Amino acid sequence: MPTSDLQPIVEMRAITKLFPGVRALDQVNFNVYPGEIRGLVGKNGAGKSTLMHILTGLYPPTHGEIWIAGKPVANLTSTTAKELGISIVHQHSQMIPPLSMAENIYCGNLPKSRFGLIDWPRTFREAQASIEQLGLRIDVRRTIEGASIAEKQMIEIVKALFAKARVMVLDEPTAPLPKSEVELLFSFVRRLRDQGVSFVYISHYLEEVFQLCDTVTVLKDGAVVGDYPVSNLTQTSLISLISGSRVERFQRVEQDRHPGAPALQIKNLSREAAYTNINLTLCQGEIVGLTGLDGCGKDSLARGLFGLEPLGEGEVQVDQKPFRPAKEPKEAIAQGLAYLPRDRHGYGIVRYRPIRENITLPILRRLLNKLGLLDLAQEKTHVADLIEQLNIRTPSPEQQVQLLSGGNQQKVVFAKLISVQPKVLLLDEPTQGVDIQAKVEILKIIADLARQKMCVVVISEEIRELLDICDRVLVMYKGQVTDEFKVGVPEATYQRILMAVEGSLLRERTHETA
Amino acid sequence: MKRLERYIPFVIDNLIWFLLFSVFLFACLFTPRFLTQRNVINILEHSSVLGIMVIGQSLCLLSGNFDLSAESTLGLTALLGAYLVTAAGAPAFGSGLLLPPFAALAIMFLVGLGVGWLNGFLITRLKMNNFIVTLAMLIVLRGLTMVLNEGKTISSINPSILALGSAKIGVIPLSVWVMLVSFALAYVLTRYIQFGRDLYAVGGNRDAAQASGVDADRRIRQVYMVSGLIAAFAGWMFLGRLGSGVASMGTGMIFEIQAAAVIGGISLFGGRGSIMGALGGVLLLSVISSVLALMQVSTFWYDTIRGLIILLAMLIDAQKVNFRKKDVISAVSTRLA
Repeated sequence: MPTSDLQPIVEMRAITKLFPGVRALDQVNFNVYPGEIRGLVGKNGAGKSTLMHILTGLYPPTHGEIWIAGKPVANLTSTTAKELGISIVHQHSQMIPPLSMAENIYCGNLPKSRFGLIDWPRTFREAQASIEQLGLRIDVRRTIEGASIAEKQMIEIVKALFAKARVMVLDEPTAPLPKSEVELLFSFVRRLRDQGVSFVYISHYLEEVFQLCDTVTVLKDGAVVGDYPVSNLTQTSLISLISGSRVERFQRVEQDRHPGAPALQIKNLSREAAYTNINLTLCQGEIVGLTGLDGCGKDSLARGLFGLEPLGEGEVQVDQKPFRPAKEPKEAIAQGLAYLPRDRHGYGIVRYRPIRENITLPILRRLLNKLGLLDLAQEKTHVADLIEQLNIRTPSPEQQVQLLSGGNQQKVVFAKLISVQPKVLLLDEPTQGVDIQAKVEILKIIADLARQKMCVVVISEEIRELLDICDRVLVMYKGQVTDEFKVGVPEATYQRILMAVEGSLLRERTHETA
Repeated sequence: MKRLERYIPFVIDNLIWFLLFSVFLFACLFTPRFLTQRNVINILEHSSVLGIMVIGQSLCLLSGNFDLSAESTLGLTALLGAYLVTAAGAPAFGSGLLLPPFAALAIMFLVGLGVGWLNGFLITRLKMNNFIVTLAMLIVLRGLTMVLNEGKTISSINPSILALGSAKIGVIPLSVWVMLVSFALAYVLTRYIQFGRDLYAVGGNRDAAQASGVDADRRIRQVYMVSGLIAAFAGWMFLGRLGSGVASMGTGMIFEIQAAAVIGGISLFGGRGSIMGALGGVLLLSVISSVLALMQVSTFWYDTIRGLIILLAMLIDAQKVNFRKKDVISAVSTRLA
């Protein structure tokens, strides 16, 4: 644990950063001590990224000093930052997929033999030895393509260590990571910390901050709220520090919502290597959670229904009409489905295009006038209504979507889905990568949609969130729906659901019958 | 300074028009014969075939695809048109079929459409790379054009098929009017027609477009067919301007087409740019050619200078991205402030 008499390895003193018309950082002091994991938290736009960009030399501060290992550093660039041992591990891996892990670790500086040829045996031997020394069991001859996301991130950390990194910035490393691999990454990070490496850990997931970090710095509106040892904080107190006030937690309103006629019925649906024998009936106006480990089939099911993957064999009815398996999302949309993809940047938004065009993309056909031309006036009203209804914060509907914050981008995707007026809404991790405030707003939108008689399926690994919003929570394990919890009954607790997710409830039952 | 900064995005969005205006001003001041009726009409006429080709190319680029074969499609269809309507043997060297012009035109358009269909089929159904497919097609079609009439020049062509490229309305050539109308139509297509809007989405983020119910592959097949048709139309116009049919029609034009589109702000990565910007790009290239000619710059320097201008345009484009990034950061922070 860091103590105050220890010299900080990174000391950022009174950092101020001005962008045209904005004070992004205001007199920020930020220290990292050797061998600590320091959490850096704050809302989207609080200044976390700006601060880290300055630390890694991407751009200079307007005022302020940076001291590294007790020496002041002027004109920090990305190259000098790396030389001084500061490196950043990005959320999305920055490696070369077709090359082996060893090559990626060496990053172009492969060991050479006497004749200047690459010494492959030595490359693999040394890479393997050092990776094992760090407690990893990964075959470095394999290519990055075949690695899991956690493996990629650990290799990325190893690569930074090879480049003599002493301070590593981890920017939302767990966001693309399945739950099962998070602990793997964490124990690796802890082990390195114990060997004296320092980490700056940026995350929206506060639970993880408590699991992993020793200390935490809270930023708000470009200024430091404070530095705290994690042991002195509770989740609630941290949330109020981040938001500056108590955020309202999502409040259930049940009275005015009654499940109606069946909206999505699935009978004996199976697809090899994805899911087996799925039987479900979901109703209008119902919010159903679908959870389970990564690879349990929960997202395959949604993607199969939506035509992004094959659906398999079985019977499906949407709105009590037989559903033809969709070869293209277009056909699924036509039959009353809408899907919010987990990968917002990949499948959700066209980021250079304005909000307006993103929202009306799936419904242009309905906005044609008699001449077959788009009715821009009608389009504008439609978009303006949705911007207001979903409270999308933007100066104008013509704003490029990439300029919005994560939460607002997600709302644009929601607006797009609502535009097609679906019967069944499939949401894959709808609150991923958005800040706390936006999360609450998105949960409210979901509840609103259910009130308008839509059937909403929320696919998520955030069990607490599912308990907050859903009427029922279904758990999938190895391709089958194994458990169902009706929210409100005493058994539907976080603990029980977690056990179901990990398959231990299933094992208990088979034990009893055996 | 602060006040000036507010106008930067506006300037960046309309950069091509500022460039065009400055070059125009330069030309007016330093080349006395530039601003004469004859020269301005010349410039516009030079822009006409190029402009129409740029429309087809821009639509492809917006969808995130190249159509390098366009100039060969132009060459093939133009020569085919000349061949079909002309008598056999010396001095005409045509097919001897003496088809009526409308029949020849129908065949030209069918060939253009067919080339586009084939490009689209290879790219979307057989999953071949668009750059390579259209590059190969560029070579194959030019080869076919050579084969068609063994490199002989076709003359004594039925004048009614030449009218599009040679007739005048008032003092202004018909081809110029047609180009301007084509740009107006293309503008409507990209703004008010679903097909055009889908192209932006497919080029901007194909997966997201697909997940929103756009059939991306179908749109790409369609845009290649449109590009083929447009090339055939431009071939018709080109033939009229030339007055005779040679196998080299349109050779090397693809560089100018791409340059005009890119200078006009159409992104090679798809999803960004406007068709009117592309028109600006076409006019800029034509004005520069004219200025070089009037200043009696040696023709040996033409290509060098034009190449440098393309580099300059790309430099500005790259800077645009840099500036936008900064813009993003400040915009995000402003909203939270």
